[in-house]
Parts: sequence; C-alpha cells; structure tokens
Amino acid sequence: MVSLMECDSVLRFEGVSKSYGSLAALSEVDLSVEPGEILALLGPNGAGKTTLIGCASGLIQDFRGRISVGGYDVRRRPRITRRLIGLVSQELNFDGFFNARQALFYQSGYYGVRPDRQRIEQMLRDFSLYEKADTNTRQLSGGMKRRLMICKALMHDPAVLFLDEPTAGVDVELREELWRYVLKLREQGVTIVLTTHYLEEAEQLADRVAVIHRGRILRVQPRERLLADLGRSWAKVSFSRPVPVEEFQNAGAHRIQTLEPSVLRFEMDGVDEEGHGSGSLLSTVVRRCGDLGVSVLEVETGRSSLEEVFRELIRETEPGKEKVEA
Amino acid sequence: MNAYRKAALKRVAQAAEEAERSSGWYNCWILFRREIKRFMIILGQSVLSPVVTTTLYFLVFGYSLGSQLREMGGLSYMDFLAPGLVMMAVINNSFINSSFSFYLTKVHGSVVDILVAPLSNLQIMAAYAAASLVRGLLTGGIIWLIAALFGAQTLYDPGLAIGVMVLVSLAFSLFGLATAVVSKEFEHVNFIPSFVILPFTFLGGVFYSVKLLPEPWAEVALYNPFLYMVNGIRYGMTGASDVSLASSLLVSGAFFLIAFATAWALLASGKNLRD
Repeated sequence: MVSLMECDSVLRFEGVSKSYGSLAALSEVDLSVEPGEILALLGPNGAGKTTLIGCASGLIQDFRGRISVGGYDVRRRPRITRRLIGLVSQELNFDGFFNARQALFYQSGYYGVRPDRQRIEQMLRDFSLYEKADTNTRQLSGGMKRRLMICKALMHDPAVLFLDEPTAGVDVELREELWRYVLKLREQGVTIVLTTHYLEEAEQLADRVAVIHRGRILRVQPRERLLADLGRSWAKVSFSRPVPVEEFQNAGAHRIQTLEPSVLRFEMDGVDEEGHGSGSLLSTVVRRCGDLGVSVLEVETGRSSLEEVFRELIRETEPGKEKVEA
Repeated sequence: MNAYRKAALKRVAQAAEEAERSSGWYNCWILFRREIKRFMIILGQSVLSPVVTTTLYFLVFGYSLGSQLREMGGLSYMDFLAPGLVMMAVINNSFINSSFSFYLTKVHGSVVDILVAPLSNLQIMAAYAAASLVRGLLTGGIIWLIAALFGAQTLYDPGLAIGVMVLVSLAFSLFGLATAVVSKEFEHVNFIPSFVILPFTFLGGVFYSVKLLPEPWAEVALYNPFLYMVNGIRYGMTGASDVSLASSLLVSGAFFLIAFATAWALLASGKNLRD
C-alpha cells in the first residue's frame, strides 16, 4: 500500500480495460481523482462511465489494469476499498420487503457501521423522506427512490462517493437540493465522482471534467481550463447592410456564419470563463466595417457552454466527421 | 481547495482505519438479521402456510388412510410419516427462503447494495444459509410438534435428527442461493421446488418404504439422494431406516459440499450477477 499522504490521488485507474465479448467497454483508462475534488465524468450513452464506476466499486471484478482507492488495491483489499466507497447506481432500486427507515438501518450494517437511529432520522429529514419513512420502498416515487439511494450510499460515511446519473428523472427542485448537498459533502471531505447527462450539472459542480468516449478518456482538465482550451467566444453582429463573409476572413475568427444577409456570427478560439479574448476580434470587425463604410447596428456576445465543448470533443472523435471551418 | 483536500485525506484515513479493524462478520450478522426480518414480515406465507399444508398431510395420510395400514417399515404409519414430512418441510423452506430472497434482490436491483458492500462471498453465503436454516428448522420443528400432537413417537435420538436437519437445511439453502444466482427469470427459481424437490421427496420414501417397491424400482430408488436424507432423519426420530445411517450422512454431507462449492463458484464468477 502506498501511503495516502504520499499520493496525489484518492482514486487511481491505471491501464484499466474491460471487454464484453468483442466490445471494448474500457480501453487502457488512466485517471486520477484528487482528494476533496468533484470530478465530472462526461460521456454519451455507452461511453463506459458506468463500467468504470463498476470496476472501482467492486461490482465488476473481471477487468485488466489496476484501480486503487486511498492507496489500496480494489482487488487485493476489497474489504477496505469498499468501505471507503459509496455508490449511487444509475438504475433505480428498492428493497420490496422494507420501508425507508429499515432500508437505511440494514445498509449501514452491511458496511460494518452500527446502525445509529438518530443518524437515520437525520438523513430521512435531510432528504425530505421523513414523511415516507414507514412506507414500503416499493411504493416510493422515482424521485424518492433516488433520494433513498443517495441516503443509503452515505450511511457509512464514505470517503469517495460515486454518483452515477444521480439526477436522472428527478424534478428541478430536487436536482438543485441535491447539488447543494453535494457541495456540502465536499466540504465534509467527501471526494465525489459524478456522471451526468446534464452538462449544466457538471458546470455547476465539477472542479475537473473527464470526457470519456468509446471506453477512452479523451481529456481531463479543470472545468475552466477545458472551456479556455476548447471553448469559443462568439459575437453576433448586425450590420446596416448585407456584408459578404469574405470581407472578415482575416479578422481572426475561427468560423463565420451568415445568419441573415446583414447578420453574421463570428466564433473565436481560446476564451476563458469571462470571455477574455473576444475584444480583439470585435475591434478587428469594427475596423473593417469602417473601411467598408458599413455601420454596426447591434452586437451580441457570448461564450461556448460546456455542452458545446463536450459535443465538439465527441464530434472530433467520430470517424468521418470533420470540423467545418470558415 | 486545500481545506477540502485536508478534510478528504482525514476522512480516507479514518474510514480505512475502521475498515482495517473490521473482519466483515458484523456486516454478515446484519445481512442475516435482514433475512430473518424478511421472512418474519411474511410469516403467514413463509411459515404458517407450509405448516397448514403439512398438517393436512397428517390428517389425510396419517389419520384417514394411515388407520387402514397396520405398519410401514416396522413402524406405525403416523410414526413412519412424521420424519418424512418434517424433512420435506425443511428442504422446501430452506431452498425457497434463500432462492426467492436472493432472486428478488436481483429483480428489485438491491442486490447491488450487497455486492458492493464489504462482504466476502463466504459471508454472503453464511448470512443466507443461516437465515434459511432458521426458517427450515422453525418450520420443521413446528411440524415435528404437530406430529407429536397427532400421537407420533419420534424421540428416538433427537440430537441426531436435528443434526441431519441442520446438514440438509444448509445444503438446500446453498443450493437455493446458487439457483438464484444463475436464474434469469422467476420460472427458473420456481422450477426446482416444482420439478425437482417435490417429485424426488415424494419418491424418496416420505410416504412409503422403498422396500415395498418391486424390482427394478427398489434398486432405482437407491439413486435418489432425497431417500438418504429422509431416512437419515427417520432413523434419528424413530430408529428405523431403509438405508444405513452412514450412507444417509455420507450422501447428505456430499450434497452439502457440492451445494457449497457450487454457490461459492457462482458468486465468485459473478455470472448473471456482476456483469
């Protein structure tokens, strides 16, 4: 075992591969998760997110490579690594024989933690399940089942929490409630790995983003850095009369689109979260307008969202889909 | 971020220290308690129903038809019938408890909670087998008591009878667990009690002595492992048996070992479970 204080990662994947027959679900995945961070694992359906979480949590044991949690190998020391991990799986589950309170009681015991009645009551209150504490878990709504799954994953005070699509199918109110709770957990020292389809979720919560596609990690970066590297600023400019795109080809724009004969959209690489970098583009456009004797009537600016960056990254890896550039 | 990092490292160290101290057997104890609670919640279905059914067997076969028979295997028919019915209840309830319970966790999805918890395969097996043993002995014990109320003389060697019950119950609990692991549909779990346990126990000398069978059926009956289990408990309860006690214990023990190895191998493989 490597001393935890000596390593930078609380969770480490080294050359992890997993195949189902001829399908490679994971290919040589290397990934480190730092203590106390929230890492968003983004990828389309079937990218390998759930498989990766399954390998780390002990659900999937037949994989190649090495995974360590807190410096402990998940296959050699499963009793320790499993105690360190809390898993909220993607599929809704329930225990049809028990109510919510009983389900929490047994769940903490499975991890060797003596069931604490006060803590159970507190968790039920924190996740707005108190009113339904005596209801059979089979009869809970989808959102309530999801809340209960999160409670169960937290009952043994895990050090690393895997949230596999935690807000899939839940209403906006619960989603925001959950986001607040996730940030609170991080303050308490929980390292969180989050997979989500809602890129807004990753944008709101994640310190770093790992993009996975076809079982390979395409990029791992701090969220702001990812946006700066791959994000683009854009400016939608309305002119007093139609202007050909060719007049602005040297303006430094990555891509120019004609939205209407007199309205153009300019895109530019490498902007940070505040949109720095777009100023020089606009000044070039305005200067060129002066040369052409055209007035600028309206300018609307913005920057790429994480969703656009994500789509762009995925598109780059799709065979036969080249980027269209001006 | 540094504050979060510090808190995270502290949390990992604390949890790892707790995990180092734990052997996992407390976790197993809680899973066992969960299983006991589960069948207690459905007590009417899990214990009362088989007790009522078996009491009907006593009434129909023991009282009504049995009064027409002078003896069976050197015993009064009620004395002969009681051990077989006790063993049938033990086998059925032990199998059904572990197989249906584990299979339902697969259906409900909550099996994930058990598979990712710090429980070894051996501990999962121990919890399910022990809980099924409790149900099997409880049901078998009540039927034994009812047999006594019907006048059956069944206290020849209670310790031996209970020992055979425990061995067979554990074997069928593990067999049930193995069946649940491989089952993909409810019919798969249901297949064993309906098409294996019921016919083989009926043909295993619960209601008659195999010595009454004509050849070659008397010879064929000796290849039925249930025969040895039924006669093992019959010897403990009445001192009479169609086969030797040693062969009864050997077959029951072998069945236990096979069920144990199968359940362990299937859990370890993770087939139909982890992937």
